[in-house]
Amino acid sequence: MNTPIDDGNHNLRYAEYVLGVLDADTRAEVAREVLASDEAATAVALWQRRLIPLAETVGDVAPAPYVWARIHDALQLDAPARAPLAQPRRGLWNNLALWHWLGIGASAVAVALLVVVSLPRPVPAPKVAGIAYMASTIQQDNGTTGWTATMDLQHARMVVVPATPVAFAQGRAPELWLIPAGQKPISVGMIARDKPTTIALDPALLARLGPTAALAVSVEPIGGSPTGQPTGAVIAKGAIGAAPDAGGKVAMIGNVRTDRPWI
Amino acid sequence: MSVSSPAERDELNQLLLQTGRNDQKAFAELYRRTSSKLFGVCLRMLRDRGEAEDVLQETYTTVWRRAATFDVAKASAITWLVTLSRNKAIDRLRQHREELLDDPARFDETVDEQPTPAAGAETSQEYRRLQHCLDELEPQQQRSVREAFFTGATYNELATRCKVPLGTMKSWIRRSLMQLRTCLDS
Repeated sequence: MNTPIDDGNHNLRYAEYVLGVLDADTRAEVAREVLASDEAATAVALWQRRLIPLAETVGDVAPAPYVWARIHDALQLDAPARAPLAQPRRGLWNNLALWHWLGIGASAVAVALLVVVSLPRPVPAPKVAGIAYMASTIQQDNGTTGWTATMDLQHARMVVVPATPVAFAQGRAPELWLIPAGQKPISVGMIARDKPTTIALDPALLARLGPTAALAVSVEPIGGSPTGQPTGAVIAKGAIGAAPDAGGKVAMIGNVRTDRPWI
Repeated sequence: MSVSSPAERDELNQLLLQTGRNDQKAFAELYRRTSSKLFGVCLRMLRDRGEAEDVLQETYTTVWRRAATFDVAKASAITWLVTLSRNKAIDRLRQHREELLDDPARFDETVDEQPTPAAGAETSQEYRRLQHCLDELEPQQQRSVREAFFTGATYNELATRCKVPLGTMKSWIRRSLMQLRTCLDS
């Protein structure tokens, strides 16, 4: 891409590389050079020292807590899956937007939120935004909300509150599933039909929460599905969205797409 | 998160060195203290939260694997980390630029168009020196350098954006880089 005009120009290519203006091929050439030659590596390091301080002017943006969970998962670390991350600026308790967004009677949500917000808060709150909560309205086929799930990503917990108690046959109970887009359902756990259930989310589950995943409830034996996959009828489902307070975009809500073969 | 004070800088260096010795706690702390900065940088370049999250994840998995190669004599930890995330973001931009450019939704993710230090935020001595040298450039050239740094655009893209011939853009940037080197190394 460059025709060297003088000696300085060669050095300029390292500057251009650090600045980021080179096309893919020329970038790759310089990157190879850096690996092969100490001189090139030193020249690039010098340009980094000169130019990278500009990044100080870029505003901090807290990433969603599930990013750490994914990193943790990918590297199979043993350290706690919950990095002490940014807190939302306001408590969910006072967040009317979330309540409206959930679009159901406050009483069911209130219980979930009460449980979520009353969890201990060990970390002081830095003033940055990030997705700290997600929520899902798990609806039955007739459009009635069966359960509301609120996920506190920071504390890796989900609170599932029944909105309309659903009747179950003797020996049957609701089991909650997380369905990452295009993947098999993963059991989240058994949930109560008539009272809130708090579930700890392991890193694998936490890493898969997001606007492309869905929650579903199936009818299973009391002890849970014997196969690790849903065996009974799916009675309710819902998309997962970032809670509006949390700086993330509000994702879709309502019934999930029905292109999942098992639903 | 501030990375501007020498003390903060030393602490991050220590954390990255410890990460290089497979210290998971240090790695978690390093993430806690630097991820917002790196995510801001990625988001500004990629203009898409999902893309920026992917790049951030790639960046820190690479940090964990390559931290042992970090040499504090060559660069500070924050320079090393920002460089790594920028490189990955630029690679991503070059890979599927068309998709990103075609997606109008990505413009919803605009972070801040006119980057300036946040009011009252401390800046490092290195930044102040760089800013001083940038201020000595022609306004248009300074803008081009900033735009290039923050968006990861190629010469071609910068020329299109600024509506100038490619040759003009190249000579603006190259002249700026030479002037910056002279000013910074003096």
